[in-house]
Amino acid sequence: MVLGRGVKKLDLVDMLLLAALVGLAIVWVAPIVWVIGLAFKPNDVLMRTTGGIFAPPFTGKNFRDILATSAVFGWMLNSFIVAIGQTFLTLAISTLAGYGFARTDFPGKRIAFILVIAGLAVPEQAIIVPLHTMFAEAHLHNTYFGLIAPRLAFPFGVFLMYQYFKGVPREIEEAAMLDNASRLKIFFRVVLPLTVPAQATLGIYTFLHAWNEYFWPLVSATKPEMYTLTIGLAATQTNFAQTEGIGFLMAQAVFAGLPILILYLFFQRHIVTAVAGGAGK
Amino acid sequence: MSAPSQARPVRVARRDADAVGRRTAWNALFIAPYMLAFLVLLVVPLGLGMWLSFQDYDMLAGYGGPVGWENYERLLGDRIFLGSVRNTIWFVIISVPAFVGLGLFLALLLNDDSRKSSFFRSIFFGSSVLSVTIVTLVWRLVYMPDRGLLQNIAGMFGLTAPNFMTTEALALPGIAIVTVWWIIGLPMMLFLAALQQIPKEVYEAAALDNASRWRVLVSITLPAIRRTIVLVAVIEVILQFQLFGQANLITNGGPNNASRPIVMFIYEAGFRDWMLGYAAAASQILFVLMLGAAMLQMWIGRQKDGG
Amino acid sequence: MTITKLTSALAAGAIVAGALATSGAALAQQKTEISFARFFGACDADYGTSQDYQKARGECGVMTTLVNHFNATNKDNIVVKPQIIEWGPYYQQLTARIAARDVPTIAVMHTSQIGDFVRSRIVEPIEDDLKAAGIDINDFTPHAKAGVTLNGKVHALPWDTHSWLWHINVGMFKQAGLVDAAGAPIVPKTVDELMQQAKLIKEKTGKPYFVMASVAAGDAGNGARSFWTMMYTQNASIFKDGNFDKADFNSPEAKNAFEVFERLSKEGYITKGTDGAGALGGFIGGNGAVLLTGTWRIDDMIAAAAKPESGLKEYTARIFPNLFKQDAVWADNHSWVMLRGGTNPQTRKAAQIFMKYLWDHNFDWARGGGHLPIRNSLMAEYAKLPERPNVMRITEIGRSLPHDVRRQFGFQSLIGEEVNNIINGNKLAAQAMKDAQERADQLLSRR
Repeated sequence: MVLGRGVKKLDLVDMLLLAALVGLAIVWVAPIVWVIGLAFKPNDVLMRTTGGIFAPPFTGKNFRDILATSAVFGWMLNSFIVAIGQTFLTLAISTLAGYGFARTDFPGKRIAFILVIAGLAVPEQAIIVPLHTMFAEAHLHNTYFGLIAPRLAFPFGVFLMYQYFKGVPREIEEAAMLDNASRLKIFFRVVLPLTVPAQATLGIYTFLHAWNEYFWPLVSATKPEMYTLTIGLAATQTNFAQTEGIGFLMAQAVFAGLPILILYLFFQRHIVTAVAGGAGK
Repeated sequence: MSAPSQARPVRVARRDADAVGRRTAWNALFIAPYMLAFLVLLVVPLGLGMWLSFQDYDMLAGYGGPVGWENYERLLGDRIFLGSVRNTIWFVIISVPAFVGLGLFLALLLNDDSRKSSFFRSIFFGSSVLSVTIVTLVWRLVYMPDRGLLQNIAGMFGLTAPNFMTTEALALPGIAIVTVWWIIGLPMMLFLAALQQIPKEVYEAAALDNASRWRVLVSITLPAIRRTIVLVAVIEVILQFQLFGQANLITNGGPNNASRPIVMFIYEAGFRDWMLGYAAAASQILFVLMLGAAMLQMWIGRQKDGG
Repeated sequence: MTITKLTSALAAGAIVAGALATSGAALAQQKTEISFARFFGACDADYGTSQDYQKARGECGVMTTLVNHFNATNKDNIVVKPQIIEWGPYYQQLTARIAARDVPTIAVMHTSQIGDFVRSRIVEPIEDDLKAAGIDINDFTPHAKAGVTLNGKVHALPWDTHSWLWHINVGMFKQAGLVDAAGAPIVPKTVDELMQQAKLIKEKTGKPYFVMASVAAGDAGNGARSFWTMMYTQNASIFKDGNFDKADFNSPEAKNAFEVFERLSKEGYITKGTDGAGALGGFIGGNGAVLLTGTWRIDDMIAAAAKPESGLKEYTARIFPNLFKQDAVWADNHSWVMLRGGTNPQTRKAAQIFMKYLWDHNFDWARGGGHLPIRNSLMAEYAKLPERPNVMRITEIGRSLPHDVRRQFGFQSLIGEEVNNIINGNKLAAQAMKDAQERADQLLSRR
C-alpha cells in the first residue's frame, strides 16, 4: 500500500497501516458526527446528559429556531461579502503587480520588488495594533471596506503571480508587440487568459483565508450587525450557560459550517490542487 | 526559474532580461494599485508600530510621550508575557513535528489514485475549510469535563477522561490536538504534491532490487522530498507561532496562563487593556522571534543540503 | 451678509431635502433608532417576538420582551436595537467599540466598573437626563445610589442590585440531616461547620457540597465574589488605610479566604473543572448540594425544582452566609449609562424616553430576573415574591469596592482566576496568594 502500488497481497504491515488509517479517520469524523447528533437533541435533555445521541428524543426545533431568529444569516452574508470582495480585489491587484514585476521594466522596479519580497516576512500581528488605530482615525471600522482592505497589502498573491508570469514564454507577448498592440491590450487579450490556473489557486486561497479570518474582524467588526460568521459564532460560545442551549449552538455550528463544506466537496479537486500548488511554489 | 540578467546587452543598463517591451515609467502603473495598498496598509503601520513600541500610549489614559526602551524592559519583567513566549515556543515544539510526521504519514499512505485514497484525503483535508470558531465549538464539546465526547467514551469503560481545559500540563497539548485535527490537510497535500514528483522509474528499480519498504522510504522517498520537508516545517513554524483563536476560544489562555500564546498577549494588551505602546513592543518581539525561527530552520535545511 | 445668505440657503436646502425624505417615506414615519449594548444573553428562540414581559422568566427573557414591548408600543417612533454581547468579554468589547468610534447609545454597566470609565471621561453625569425623563433620583435605594454616584454626581440609571447566594438543594440537606425542625436547611456559621456539613453531604449522598463553574473567563467572577464576601465578613479589605494604589494579599484574612478553597478542593467538597452549563445542569441534576451563583438564578431554580424529573428536589436560596465575624456580602448593581459621543440630540431624547420606560418596569426585571429592585417604593412588593424574603437583607449588608479602586475588572479576573486555580488543583493557597500579589502590583503599576 505504501509503495507497493497493488503489486503484492496485503501483508501484516499493510493491515496495521490500514487499521491506523481507519482509526485516524474515525478520530477526524467522530467529533463532527457527535456535533450533528447534538444539534438534533432537545436543549433541556442536553442540560442533563449528552450520552446516547443516537437514541430518541430527537428534535428539529434547534434548526427551526435558527431559521426563525438567528443572526447567523446576517453573519454569513457579511462573510460572503468580505470574502468575495477580498478575493476579487486581491486577484486584480496581484495579477497586475505580478505582471508588472515579471514582464515590464520601469525605473525603480528593483527597489520596489525587493521591498515587496521583504514584506513576505511581516506577520499580520506585527502591524495589527497601529493598523487598528489608523482605521479608527479614518472611521473605517465596522465597514466592509475596513474588513476587506488590510489583507490586500500582503504580498503573497503578488509573489505567486510573479512566479507564474515568469514561467509564461515571453515570445507570446513579443509576437503581439510586433503587431503594435498597446501594452494594456496585450495584458488583457493575450496574457490574462493564460493565467486562469494561477488565478484559481490564488482565488481559492484568498477566499478560504478571508472566510476563516479571526483576529482582524474580532477587533474591527465591533457592531453585531457587522460580525462575520467567525466572529458571530465566537461571540456566542464562550459561555454555554448564557446561551440558548448546547443543541442550539451546535445546530448553529452545523448550519454555519455547511455552505463551506458543500463548496469544498463541490470544488474539492480544484481546492486541493490550489492549496498544494500555492504553497509549493 | 528566472534567467540571470547578464543575457542582455550591456548598454541597456540593469535591464530585466525577462521583461518585454520598452523600459518606461508608465509600466509602473501595473504595480501602482498594489504598491498603494502595500505602502499604506503594511509599510506605514509597520513603521508606526515600531515607533509606538517606544511610546507610552494608552488608548484610555492618552498619550504619555516617548519612553525609550521602557516598554521592552517591562515586557522582560512581565511574568505573563514571558509565560506566553514560553507557551508559544512549547506549542511550536510539540505541534510542528506532529504536522510534519502525521502529514507525511498520511501522504505516504494516500499517495495513489484509488477511490479509497481519495475518500480518505477528503476526510483529512475537509476539516481545514472550517473556521476556527466552528472547530473550537466542536472541540469544546469534545473536551467538556462532565458531558463531553471524551468523557462519554471514557465513561463507557468506567474511566474519567483527562480534563484538557483545566489541567495546566494538558492545556497546550489539548490545543495542539485540535490544531492538528483542524489543519493537517495542508502539510498532507504538500507532501502528496512532492511525492507525485518522484519518477516512478526510481521505485521500479528498487522493486527489482527487492529492497524492503523501509529501505525504499529511507533511501529513496525521504531524500527525494527533503526540500518539501523543510518547507513544510518552515510553514508550520510560522503558522503555529501565530496561535491565537484556538487558545482564546478553548482555554482563554488558562488555566493559570498555561496556554496563553504571544498573539493572545498582544490582543489582550492592545485590545483589552488598550496599552498600545506595550502591545506594539510585544508585536516587535514576536516578529523577531518568528524571523529568527524561520531563518534558523532554513539554515538547518541548507546544512543538510550541503552534506 | 454672505454667510447669512449661505446659511439660509443651506437651511432651505435642508428643509427641502427633509421634506423629500418625509414625503418619500410618506407612510412610514420617521424613526429614531437607538443602539442598546447589553449582556444578559440572547434568547430569541424563546422570546424573539414576545412582548409578554410578565410571563417571561430569567434575565434574558425579561430583557428581550421588555425591549420588544417598548418597540411595539412607544408613541415616539423609537426603535431600540439590542446589541448583545456575553458578559465575559463585554467590557473588552465595549472599549473596543469606543476605540472603533462605534459608540452605543445606551450601555449596561456594573456600577463596580463605572469608576474606570468615568476616570477616562467616557461616562459623564446624567442627572439632567434623568430629570428630563422624569426619573426621581430620591427613589434610588441607598446601595444603588452609592453605586452610581461619583464625585457627588449621578452617572448612571441603576437597574438592580445583585448579590451572591447559596442556592440550596434542600432534599440533599435533608438526606444528610442538615435541616431544622421546620425542614429549613441549617446554614453553617463557621468554616469548620461548613467543612463538617460538607463531610456529611459527601458521606450521605456521595456528592460534593458545592457546585461552581470555574473554567471560562466569565467564571472568574464566581471565585472573586466568594472571595470578596469572605473578606467583607471578616471586615477586611485588600486595600489598607484608603490607599488604593497598593493591594495587599498577605493579610491573615486573605489567607483565611484562600484556604477555605484549598480545603474544599483537597477534600473534594467542590466540583472541579466545571463550566457554566455543567454547573447549572449538575446542580439541577442533583449532583451537588449548594450552587454558588447569584440572585439572577433564583427563578430558573424555582422553575427547575418544579419539574418532576429534576434532581433538585426542594429549593431555597440564602445569602452567602457569614462564616467569620459579621454579616456582609458582595453586591453590585447593573446600571444604564450613556457614553460620550454615543448620542445626538435626537437619540439622546429617545434614550431618555427609553430609560423612563425601563424605570417604570424595574419591578418586572426584579420579578423575572431575581435581582433586587433599585426603587425604595418597590421593596415591599418585592418581598412578596417567592424566596425573596431570604435575600432582602442584601440592601443592608451588601458591600462593594470603593469607586476609587482602579481596574476593578482586572482585580475580579485575577482573584477569580487564582481562586479557580486552587479549586481545580493547579495551586495551593500560599502560591495563589503570592501570584495574586504579583499580578495586583502589575495591574496597579499602570497609569
